[in-house]
Amino acid sequence: MLAVILVLWGASMASAEVRTRIRIIEASNQGALVDPVLSDVHGQLGSLFNFTSYRLLKEVTLSLAGTRPVDIPVHQGRSVEITLLGEYGNLVELRIRVKRDGAPILNTHVRLSPQRTILIGGPRHGEGTIIFAISTRF
Amino acid sequence: MKESCPRFSKLLERYFDQEVTDEERSLVENHLQGCPSCQEGLKAMEGLRYLMKAPVDEADPKENFYWVWQKIERAIQQEDKLTWKESIKRWIDLTPILRKRVWVPAAAAIVILLLIITPYFYKKTPSSSEPSVVEYVESQTHNVMVYESEKGDVTVIWLLEGPAKEGGSQS
Amino acid sequence: MEYDETELISRCQKGDQGAFKEIFDRYHKKVYRVAYGVLRQRENALDIVQEVFIKLFRSIKNFKGESRFSTYLYRMAMNTAIDHIRKTGKPFVSSLDGEEAIEPPEEPEKRPDRIFLYKELEGKVNEALRRIPADQRTAIVLREVEGLSYQEIGEAMGTSVGTVMSRLHYGRRRMQELLKDYVHQETLK
Repeated sequence: MLAVILVLWGASMASAEVRTRIRIIEASNQGALVDPVLSDVHGQLGSLFNFTSYRLLKEVTLSLAGTRPVDIPVHQGRSVEITLLGEYGNLVELRIRVKRDGAPILNTHVRLSPQRTILIGGPRHGEGTIIFAISTRF
Repeated sequence: MKESCPRFSKLLERYFDQEVTDEERSLVENHLQGCPSCQEGLKAMEGLRYLMKAPVDEADPKENFYWVWQKIERAIQQEDKLTWKESIKRWIDLTPILRKRVWVPAAAAIVILLLIITPYFYKKTPSSSEPSVVEYVESQTHNVMVYESEKGDVTVIWLLEGPAKEGGSQS
Repeated sequence: MEYDETELISRCQKGDQGAFKEIFDRYHKKVYRVAYGVLRQRENALDIVQEVFIKLFRSIKNFKGESRFSTYLYRMAMNTAIDHIRKTGKPFVSSLDGEEAIEPPEEPEKRPDRIFLYKELEGKVNEALRRIPADQRTAIVLREVEGLSYQEIGEAMGTSVGTVMSRLHYGRRRMQELLKDYVHQETLK
């Protein structure tokens, strides 16, 4: 009976799907428009940056499992590649690569809890700047 | 404010809120036909209702409450953590067959064994309260700035225009 | 499977989180609408929804069924939203001098888009709401946003129908004075 309990416990703690939400946002000082669908992060964005306008360009929700990278194309030859590296209790480790025309411009490993959002920003987009907002749920 | 007739002022409001009898409704509707002042009063109430309600009606269907529920669920699960004794007690209460006192030490023994063996299933077990960490960041084309918010819920990695410094940075 | 509300509440009171999720699914929109009606901002309204349901989880054991569950929840939502105002102050920037009415916007056709106009109007409505007493604000939000009857508002506020009518009357009058340049704008619709 003890063996059964141990196997069941181990199975329940094994890797489950990690649902990852990626929002690609254009931030600029052109106008004062805040896309209504960004209302849940507007406070965070407003407290961190001085942009007056935020527009959602793309939103993707995907399930990460194993260590297979997932590539998400963005505008103007850019893409974001996310790989689940591991899960540790209440944290997941992700590798995030931002690429332009196939060449990496950023490579980072982060550990995210479900309460935390990563904002990766800086690449120019027209008159504005691209911000990738990445959060997970597992 | 557009003042309706004093005589009909309160009745007009109840009419607007559909809190009138059939007789009162007829009375008001007849009166409205010949009273511009009350017509204006009614329009003003309609205007205010629109200002109050329309933005809510517009916002409501767009909201995604999935993430709200996730936060609530996490909070209540934290609150719902029972002490070890309470957990055993509840288990025993639910299962009459287990009321025999012999099961309590047996259950305790199993739990202790599990607590000893479980860590060997994992290579690393960071504390669940540990905030997210940027373990590694590198860019060959940009300078990079990392910022963690005071509240501990946002980490920012910012690519700065300009020539990158040599190598990457490792925390 | 559709559960009877009394049974759901009973299961919640015993700690059944599945039943609590069912309660959330049934009522979160009402709480959101009330919170938005008071705070006029989506992000704050979502925070209130979260706060209300966490409070509800803690307090549901105390719900005796003496009032309708919906009115119990409406009361909690209104009180939480109003407490939020007290704690955080005015979220919108512009403040009013004295008793002047709120400035009208530029003609809508000059605005780049409707969203911006809406947001500015929301700011004005929010300012006006802050300037009336909390009990009038509560009555107006429950009536205009959620369409509750006088009886239901009275239950939620713990007052008589007569008091509800009085609060609505004076609250509406004051709001119409403060928003006099907006309540007749056809271009809004």
